[in-house]
Amino acid sequence: MRIIYSWLSDFIENPPPAEELAAKLGRIGLKVEELKKSGASFSGVCVGEILKIDKHPNADKLALVDVSDGSVTLRVVCGAKNIAVGQKIAFAKVGAKLAEGELKKAKIRGVESEGMICSASELGLEGRDNTGILVLPEATPVGVDAITLFPKADCTLEVEMLPNQSHCLSHYALARELCVFYGFKLKEAAIFDGRSSGNVVPVTIHVPDLCPRYGAIVIKGVRGAKTPAWMADRLRAMGSNPKGNILIDGSNYVMYELGQPTHCFDISKLAGPKIIVRRAMPGEMLKPLDGQAIKLDAGMLVIADASKPVALAGVMGGFYTAVSEETDAILIESARFHAPTVRLASKTTGIKSESSYRFERGTDPELPKKAARRLAALILEASPGAEVEQISDTYPVKYERPVVEIDPARINAILGTGIADGEIYACLKAFQPDLKDAKPWKFTVPSYRQDIESVWDVSEEVARYVGYDVIPAESHMPMLPSAVTPRWAVGLEMKNTLAGLGFSEVYNYDFISAKEMKACAFYADMALEVKNPLSSDYQFMRQSLLTGLLKTLRYNLNRGRESVQIFESGSVYSRTEAGKAEDVHCAGLMSGDFPEGGFWQGGQGVADFYHLKGMMSRLFIGKGGFRFEKPKTAPGYFQPGLCLEMKLGGNSAGYAGKLSPAVAAAFDFKDNNIFYFEIPLTCMVAAWKPDFWQKIARIKPVSAFPQNWRDLSIVLEEKHEWHELERSFSGVQDLASARLIDVYKGKNIPAGFRSLTIRFTFSSMTGTLNDADVGAHMTAILDKLAKNFSAKLRS
Amino acid sequence: MNATTWKEKLSAIRDSFSISVAKAPAESPEAIELRYLGRKGELALLLRDLKDIPIEERKVLGALGNTAKEEMTAKLDALKGASGPAGFVLKSDLDLTLPGWPFPKGSLHPLTHTMNRLAEGFLKLGFTMADGPLVEDDYHNFEALNFPPFHPARDMQDTFYVGVKDTSGKDMLLRTHTSPVQIRSMEKQDPPLRVFHTGRVFRSEAVDASHSFAFHQIEGLYVDKGVSMADLKWTVDAFMKDLFGSSVKTRFNPSYFPFVEPGAEVDMSCIFCKGANSAARCPVCKGTGWLELMGAGMVHPNVLKGCKYDPEKWSGFAFGGGIERFAMLLYGIGDMRMLYENDLRILKQVQ
Repeated sequence: MRIIYSWLSDFIENPPPAEELAAKLGRIGLKVEELKKSGASFSGVCVGEILKIDKHPNADKLALVDVSDGSVTLRVVCGAKNIAVGQKIAFAKVGAKLAEGELKKAKIRGVESEGMICSASELGLEGRDNTGILVLPEATPVGVDAITLFPKADCTLEVEMLPNQSHCLSHYALARELCVFYGFKLKEAAIFDGRSSGNVVPVTIHVPDLCPRYGAIVIKGVRGAKTPAWMADRLRAMGSNPKGNILIDGSNYVMYELGQPTHCFDISKLAGPKIIVRRAMPGEMLKPLDGQAIKLDAGMLVIADASKPVALAGVMGGFYTAVSEETDAILIESARFHAPTVRLASKTTGIKSESSYRFERGTDPELPKKAARRLAALILEASPGAEVEQISDTYPVKYERPVVEIDPARINAILGTGIADGEIYACLKAFQPDLKDAKPWKFTVPSYRQDIESVWDVSEEVARYVGYDVIPAESHMPMLPSAVTPRWAVGLEMKNTLAGLGFSEVYNYDFISAKEMKACAFYADMALEVKNPLSSDYQFMRQSLLTGLLKTLRYNLNRGRESVQIFESGSVYSRTEAGKAEDVHCAGLMSGDFPEGGFWQGGQGVADFYHLKGMMSRLFIGKGGFRFEKPKTAPGYFQPGLCLEMKLGGNSAGYAGKLSPAVAAAFDFKDNNIFYFEIPLTCMVAAWKPDFWQKIARIKPVSAFPQNWRDLSIVLEEKHEWHELERSFSGVQDLASARLIDVYKGKNIPAGFRSLTIRFTFSSMTGTLNDADVGAHMTAILDKLAKNFSAKLRS
Repeated sequence: MNATTWKEKLSAIRDSFSISVAKAPAESPEAIELRYLGRKGELALLLRDLKDIPIEERKVLGALGNTAKEEMTAKLDALKGASGPAGFVLKSDLDLTLPGWPFPKGSLHPLTHTMNRLAEGFLKLGFTMADGPLVEDDYHNFEALNFPPFHPARDMQDTFYVGVKDTSGKDMLLRTHTSPVQIRSMEKQDPPLRVFHTGRVFRSEAVDASHSFAFHQIEGLYVDKGVSMADLKWTVDAFMKDLFGSSVKTRFNPSYFPFVEPGAEVDMSCIFCKGANSAARCPVCKGTGWLELMGAGMVHPNVLKGCKYDPEKWSGFAFGGGIERFAMLLYGIGDMRMLYENDLRILKQVQ
């Protein structure tokens, strides 16, 4: 909220300078985001007239100018291009105090200058053309003090307002806050204090719970009343555009000054004339002051006349009952409305106003009367001859100030402080001067502090009063053991391993577009949709991390990268019959040169399926029961037949494979050499043990005897997969490992067949194996291979 | 020349070659090579003589000669490489400054590093990690945290809603802060408890240098008998000192979050200018000497009551902040968007 320093100062006796006030506001939780000086603060400058312009004898770009200050003519050196004879200008004489300091007598290129013709910036004026000297209007009288031509020096403060600071939303309210916390003396604004028993416009409230109070003042004879210049200046400084009509401007002025929104109705346009505060009826319409007519509903509170709604309560007045230049009789509304109702109406209609902003935060129940009288005073001052014909205060639900019992020990317990009782009492007394010193103190909450309900709220006020720095940083908290969640633990381990394997972690948003969802072959019927997305690019919640990773791949390829190896860990979402499901996945991809950057001796290549598969084996090493399987159904974004499912302890641990050409093409990649994996972290969480010792696998003993190995080359039909062979070796005596070392097809191998070379390593726990032992084992293996796979020894 | 003489000559050459090699380094390997294996060396000349030998014998002799040549070359190579026990090469012509094998170099995201470090800070102070969903219901995200329906405090957190309803028929939403985990923890566990949570949150805000519609938070909650704001101050101060060193100072200013009372904003003394050269206007703290880092406060009695904790018996504090804010400070990042752009030239700098 914007605060004008001079306006604030109207309500504080002997206010400190603006900078000091700003610092003081900050210490009590009202952060001043910006402090800006405005207006003029120069002295010794008068209005002058240019009488004659001569060339400077020693400089082409300078001129010698004769200036009259109304009594004498002085000669000055001037470098501006926009000077002309007859101009009225701001003329600074020697000794003048300008933005840059005091003006001294000076010789410029050999000619003495007896003063200076000022530019706007030399005068310290903001927001004006600075390209030359400041030219004043022709009619400006020569010789008058130039300071009188400009708004006075002032400051504007931009104060951040938090939702609980409804008691600070005006100049008066902020002044009051400063006075409570820093002991300044508060001054009051002048209000109309006359009386009237008239009842020209009867006020009826049908829903007192939504409108507990409605103050009205009727004034007649206000036609043509103008907004005074000082008020217009202040409104302009607030960033509001004064209309020149006091009935409109005055209402805004009072809101900025006291925090109470008010509204003026043109009585000649009110049917009845009557004021009825009621709920809107279905089908009713209202054309607000600005904008199109809106449809009202029963959830909305309206001000109505005898026949129709004339204002959406607390939000905006109606167009047809608004005041104009012709208006002669007005009704000033100054009321209190139910905050959630105003907020709902503002949300539903999409109309946000300074008025709704204040009402939805809650207004002071005791303010309407004062605000109406303040506005009346301002209007009456601007319209001589006007008469007050009604002052009514319809107040069906009397506000009772709540009382909070305060035990200083409780305050100190909450804050952890040892603040003396006297100091806490002084704080409460600053709020409530008539507080009696009998414990427990019965603290009566001021009407403007709707947010104070309990001793905790009062503790905060005490802390603000003594300063938060008074609270010590000390604790007797007991030590407690701590732990992480299994999901965090397994996620971290996986991230670290992937980074060690060369993957770089990326962070993508959780939102994707309908187009991306389709391109990635996700299930549209299972997608969780955002009801109010920022744009259609972010309409759905991701079901897989694929989209973001592909976008990241494209981003980096477009920047000249030839190798990309990335992963991401994050949430994926779906719609289920029960509502929604979310899970944490870890996914990654590799594409391009591998390893990145190549090697000067050669030996590098491009990422392929076996790199990815090897990475996955490495990732799950030591996790019991890990294996690859041919998936029953693979996610649609993989190329058919080029995807493996990973299994951990019988449960799915995700998929790894090559992306389908369709997905690659949808993201504009030139080929589908993109190898992708996605793992649900839950698969690891199930096996995670909270205690570290439970995670440790017992070490198996190894043989004390030397080991032997034999290579075997066999030829068999291609349809037999390696993992089938591998499985068939189980049970062979003394077999320590069977490692595939070569796969060969081509010359000497019939079509449809391939040759595999396998290295078998044997080791016995009981003795050294001799050639015959190993030979016997090899024969057994070959027999198995021949029987199960019709494999033949390669000749 | 017949085959027998040729074989004898070959044998003689091998013998004298062996003697020469044995004499090394008296005879230089280069000289030996020239004498036996050079273009006009003894072996070359002998091989040339093969042309005089009948074709059927020539083949066998040729093979013998080539084998000898290979052996001699190998021995000579070994000699050139080093003079020492067989198999060990003492002299090397490797250029050790050439690049090594390019083992793939991965990286963790700066936000992960930051989050890990902050989580560690909480763990050291005895906070146990808790968890909660990202798609939340209105009750846990707002109402239980003392944001009543239609309260303007809800405007502080622009909310994304999704197309499913919770059990009370309200639209579910993407959590706007990590605080719902406070509620979920208190619902699950009786006091005392000391928990923390870190994770992603969402706000429906336009993206700019300091805003993002998805970002991350971390926050801790402690509820016990007699917990006071002094405990909170000590904990926050200890947490910050653990992260940034024992010389940093922390400061509390009044602030507002609906779920705490009293509420505070936590400033840390600027670690970049140390508050010293505020005249030079430190670009990070803008010359104020302080960095606004976290929010904190005493758990609001309404929040405790909602979780069936008696506020007359139990009290607690909560504090937390944005991970991005910490990461941007630590890594000197001026624009939050950089964290979600995933430029590998940037990410790979973070190790």
